[in-house]
Amino acid sequence: MTERLVDGAVRRVLDGGRLDAAEALALYADLPTHRLGQLADAARAARHPGRIVTYIIDRNVNYTNVCVARCNFCAFYREVGAGDGYVLGFDEIFAKIDETVAVGGVQLLLQGGHNPDLPLRWYEDLFRAVKARYPDFKLHALSPPEVIHLSRLSQLPARTVIDRLVAAGLDSIPGGGAEILVDRVRKRLNCYGKATAAEWIDVMRHAHDAGLRTTATMMYGTVERLDERIEHLLRLRELQDATGGFTAFITWSFQPSNTELGGAGATGVEYLRTLALARLVLDNFDNLQASWVTQGGKVGQLSLACGANDMGSVMIEENVVRAAGAAYCMDEVEIVRNIEDAGFVPKRRDMQYRVLGDPIFRERQVPRMTELATAREAGDVSVPAELDRYPARSLAGKRRRQPVV
Amino acid sequence: MTTASRFEAIGDKVQAGVPLSASEIAALSETCNLLRLGALADERRRKTRGDRATFVRVAEVPATGIPGESVSRPAGEVRLAGCPAAASRVVEAVRAAVRAAGNVPVSGFALDELVDLCAGDVARFDDLIAALRAAGLAYVAEARVERTADPAWIARAAAGGVPVARWTVDSSLAGGEALRRVAGWGADVSVPVFAPLPRASSERPSTGYEDVRQVALARLLVDNTESIQVDWRRYGPQLAQVALTFGADDVDGVSPSDASQHGLRRAPLEEITRNIRAAGLVPVERDGRFRKLRTHQP
Ligand code: SF4
Repeated sequence: MTERLVDGAVRRVLDGGRLDAAEALALYADLPTHRLGQLADAARAARHPGRIVTYIIDRNVNYTNVCVARCNFCAFYREVGAGDGYVLGFDEIFAKIDETVAVGGVQLLLQGGHNPDLPLRWYEDLFRAVKARYPDFKLHALSPPEVIHLSRLSQLPARTVIDRLVAAGLDSIPGGGAEILVDRVRKRLNCYGKATAAEWIDVMRHAHDAGLRTTATMMYGTVERLDERIEHLLRLRELQDATGGFTAFITWSFQPSNTELGGAGATGVEYLRTLALARLVLDNFDNLQASWVTQGGKVGQLSLACGANDMGSVMIEENVVRAAGAAYCMDEVEIVRNIEDAGFVPKRRDMQYRVLGDPIFRERQVPRMTELATAREAGDVSVPAELDRYPARSLAGKRRRQPVV
Repeated sequence: MTTASRFEAIGDKVQAGVPLSASEIAALSETCNLLRLGALADERRRKTRGDRATFVRVAEVPATGIPGESVSRPAGEVRLAGCPAAASRVVEAVRAAVRAAGNVPVSGFALDELVDLCAGDVARFDDLIAALRAAGLAYVAEARVERTADPAWIARAAAGGVPVARWTVDSSLAGGEALRRVAGWGADVSVPVFAPLPRASSERPSTGYEDVRQVALARLLVDNTESIQVDWRRYGPQLAQVALTFGADDVDGVSPSDASQHGLRRAPLEEITRNIRAAGLVPVERDGRFRKLRTHQP
């Protein structure tokens, strides 16, 4: 019976048909890893026949680690009022953009905690200031739960928040905060409050309707069942059918260190199988990224044999995964070496997956990076002066902004 | 013949145990189709080794400065790291390690280090091996393929009662050269394990493709060893597990520590058995003499 289902699913893929939930489950559960990978590789090759593998040079900046959501899988956040909570100042962010531009970077991936002391106007001012200084630089910013947080904070509909952010300079929305788009799982991860599955999808629908392109993600390996992982993929596929707004899909495994949830992380084989299955189920997604940040460069490279066509970001800075114990670094030279060693042709891209050119280090001298930067130097608890211009909502924030007499 | 059908033909020969020509070996070594190579190696591995993956917990102790008290209990092997500069100190290090290890087998040193200590003199080498045997050394830990010009030393060590446990090779010997060398030495040189190692160069470390390709080629081309081994620390848990689906069947260097600051589920024993099971295999723990200790049931 199982064998028949697996054979039927394999035939369906080979015939160019669409997998249903039962078939996807059968493939994941019972098809040997090489076979699953080969099917995914063939699907990748059909979409990207030129053997091009892309990557982007950007910087992953987390503007604040203060968060009221308290997801139990997160090692990054700090409570409101915590001594090591931070908000980056505009000048700090400009300095990070300068460093990014120096190594050929084209955008910031800007995400952060749900900080009650940063109102919508702070984001609008930041985006406008960035665009005024760096008109061509892109802002890939604020995942759906952050948009929902701002919508609640400002008492405005999510659609209006998106419109205002776009007017201020937002270029695209990252697909973070999706975790698993099944509410049973979200409740157990304590992330149902920040965004239900329907709310996450709704923000993405609004964004796509507003003409923004976004990515989609999945964090697996916590409390979800296999059928729930597949339900997640099917929900993304359904929205992509309706809007076509997703540029790419990125999956990574839960990183358990220093989290309240704890436990063990998923293995490398599980990562490659999950990625391969995603390539087969998400038949309307052009691009699948390899998550070398969570899996390490070596398994990240092996993703290229299992359906991925993109090595993600050179990144420059990373704070969230590092907080959970993983600290891999690959600069452009390393990413290109890994792509070429796997028999592919490396090309730089932008967020829309438009090819920008060949590796920049072959065109001009750029500094090597052997370590990812952090949001701030350890122990730096400085509070940016411009925060005084914005009303705080939390007691701690109000106290901090009132001069002590 | 298309590339695909040539690959199939080579695969059939490998599975039937028919020796490959130099051009066939080159074709396997250079294929971009990593998964097809992996599938071939996996099939061969299952045919010869079944669905078991063995592992050994190794307590590594420096060959200079052996601890007086006993070393970590759950270890299945105590391995001396490094090699003192004089034969007498090598023997002394083994004695101290054996005292500390109790019943746990002790291994240590690279074969070429021992040969060098004896300045390549056969009689001195035989004497040293005899002294190491008397001191309790179970195995010479490795013979480095790159530094083993004459495999006759392996036979001498074995004849003296201290066999070599494994061939090691780092992936700097490209194009299957190391594999060809070992395979060419044939069944006369008996070493239980072949262990391709990741290239540790900081400028140009080996990639994931290189590492698992090396493992798969070892499974397909080296048929004069029992096991193809990956090192848990040097590959890292993620890649070592993937390598188990590319032909490896033994994991070396698992930490003997039972503790983890991240809780029991992240302790080394839990992690290795979980990884082996998630690769679709059955975890079997062994000791440093390749004796089965136990099968780990879920
Ligand atoms: S994952 Fe994001 S929303 Fe959840 S606690 Fe961490 S920072 Fe806050």
